[in-house]
Amino acid sequence: MANLNLRSTQERTYQAIVVGSGISGAWAAKELCDLGVKTLMIERGPDVTHLKDYPTTNMLPHEFPHRGQLTEKIKEENPVISKCYAFREDAMHFFVKDAEHPYVQEKPFDWIRGYQVGGKSLMWARQVQRWSDFDFEGPARDGFAVDWPIRYKDIEKWYSHVEKFAGISGFKDGIAQLPDGEFLPGYELNVVEKYFAETMKKQYGGERHVISARCAHIHGSAEAFAAQGRGSCQNRNLCQRGCPFGGYFSSNSSTIPWALKTGNLTVRPDAVVHSVIYDEAKGKATGVRIIDRLTKEVEEFYADVLFINAAALNTNAILLNSTSTRFPNGLGNDSGVLGKYVAFHNYRARVSGEHEGHAEYTTSGGRPTSGYFPRFRNVYKQETDFLRGYAAGFSAGRGSGPDTSGIGMDLKNNLLNPANYGPWHVGSHMMGETLPKESNYVALDSSLKDEWGIPQLKVSMDYDDNDEKMVKDYIEQMSEMFTKAGFTNIQSSDSKQAPGLDIHEMGGVRMGKDPKTSMLNANHQLHAVPNVYVTDGSSMTSTSTQNPSLTYMAFAARAAHHAVAESKKK
Amino acid sequence: MNRRHALRHIALISGGLALIPSCDFSKEDILAAYENLKITATQKALIASISDSIIPAGEIKGALDLAVPDFILVMVNDCFTKENQEKFTAGLEAFPEYAEKTAGKKFADLSSKEKETLLLQGLALTGDENPEETVLAQVGYFLSSTKRFTIQGYMVSEYIQTEIIPYSLIPGEYNGAVLIADIQKTRVNG
Repeated sequence: MANLNLRSTQERTYQAIVVGSGISGAWAAKELCDLGVKTLMIERGPDVTHLKDYPTTNMLPHEFPHRGQLTEKIKEENPVISKCYAFREDAMHFFVKDAEHPYVQEKPFDWIRGYQVGGKSLMWARQVQRWSDFDFEGPARDGFAVDWPIRYKDIEKWYSHVEKFAGISGFKDGIAQLPDGEFLPGYELNVVEKYFAETMKKQYGGERHVISARCAHIHGSAEAFAAQGRGSCQNRNLCQRGCPFGGYFSSNSSTIPWALKTGNLTVRPDAVVHSVIYDEAKGKATGVRIIDRLTKEVEEFYADVLFINAAALNTNAILLNSTSTRFPNGLGNDSGVLGKYVAFHNYRARVSGEHEGHAEYTTSGGRPTSGYFPRFRNVYKQETDFLRGYAAGFSAGRGSGPDTSGIGMDLKNNLLNPANYGPWHVGSHMMGETLPKESNYVALDSSLKDEWGIPQLKVSMDYDDNDEKMVKDYIEQMSEMFTKAGFTNIQSSDSKQAPGLDIHEMGGVRMGKDPKTSMLNANHQLHAVPNVYVTDGSSMTSTSTQNPSLTYMAFAARAAHHAVAESKKK
Repeated sequence: MNRRHALRHIALISGGLALIPSCDFSKEDILAAYENLKITATQKALIASISDSIIPAGEIKGALDLAVPDFILVMVNDCFTKENQEKFTAGLEAFPEYAEKTAGKKFADLSSKEKETLLLQGLALTGDENPEETVLAQVGYFLSSTKRFTIQGYMVSEYIQTEIIPYSLIPGEYNGAVLIADIQKTRVNG
């Protein structure tokens, strides 16, 4: 390991280091900087600066040579990432290509990654539903994983804190399993979605709700966000390219420029973290060892407090690779659970249909969200032969497709004057909670290494019987609900997609009360190395049914404040 | 870089119009711009002529005015699987004979009305196991692919999306209950 001392130790010392610049890392950095902490944020990929590095953001459809479609060559070279719905001609530069960062699939796992400043916060789907105590109490009530060491009351004010800054649009729906938050004006459901919501309310005694999904978009007045340099969402639905208006929340448009303005943040892109440095004498972590992505030079950075928020599976990989005499099996891994009990969301099934009613209506304009079914299965008590439940997306839409049957001038005039309104199309997809199990795990491969000499990650995750039953139930229930609403041509499908494509992998560094069975305590610190915090997806004890990013943001803010309060005690 | 590669390179830079000498595929030169396809200039001209029949010029421009034949070949070359490329080119190769057999004349010698009738017939073709039927299915596949990409290349062109039906990068606030009767649309005459 050469070149360690090219720059003085002092120059490479900060008060805090945050590994990762995605949603959770940049939130931790922003809070630390706001609290006056000199912070280094390390990112393995290249820099992506807001506005400057969105090369496709204002391109028109005809400017893409294949009009958005992937070429066969790209698909052949990228069998995994090509499956991702957002990996298209306009945004593929923000996704990790298969060949660039190989990993070992002990079982099929589609690992969707974004290695750049901002991480996946650039291309995420921006859905932000709060978790509730039905989620945090789930493992204890239903006897799986371990009990969460926190409850909704511990996190509630941090949800509010991050929501006000990020900008969340939604309605106060008053649903116990989906707590209301600090909302900007919501996006109204369309006429058919409203009809469906009303029908569900009547048919299921008020127990099944269809709401407008809360999303991280600035809707209505953007005045409160002017200080961040962000404006209102323009309903472009081109978010994955990076937004020139800052209309949706990303690290790049929001937390990173904010933290930079404090003068306390240093961003170090192109730095692949090899491991966390553990000082046996001091009994704490003192920094991180990085390998420059381009030059391959090794360098060390030091700080009193470390946040490891490298994205769920990569945080596992870094801790597993951080071995020492004290921690031969990975940093803080006294329990042996590091890398285990990983889980994800079950996105396999869809139900679609048509609606002949409301034929006099259509829609206009754009919106960045759609309908959402909060979980209704097993909420208050166990009702089914599977544990937990699922949320679901729901949307209705109608296009005025042209009649393309003809040829010549007839066809041309039909194309230019589309007047054919078919029936409304309705569709839904499931978002099922999966149960973390010891048999679902990630580990370092014993022989294969990456370009930087770091062991490749081996992923071993699979569905189980509980998931199969849930898929079946979702299809039955959604088909029944569609039938009750009078929808026709109801079709269902089970994609059997591998875990990973949900892009909601979680766990492996789980929180818990007991150091013997968990990695992190109630304050997001490693039980055994309390100056190391983890607040990304790896910290999740269970998965809930709600999209997890908002909870990572809240955890990161909460942990940053805890770290600063702890340092003041000294 | 050998001479052939160099020529190919120049061809790509110059928009694919150059012809690359070749001796292994056919008597006629292969267009190098579409490196996965073995397409001759004559065949490209045939595709152009078909796309012209599908969306002719009139009060406003047609497919031929918007380089749609190039778009069709780029899409087939880049976005089709090898198997579908083979089906497409087989259909393309079989089309002249199909046209002559069905319409009694070479495609080029047909009137626009006759061309339309023939293409509509061809578009409806499907086949089964019988080898002759397979050829017909390939013709059908070739024509339906050509039609699909003609429509896409035409509608998602700079001309249509900036001059005729402007594409808006900012579509405006969502309205989830628009009465169709209230929508005012100016008719565009092709």
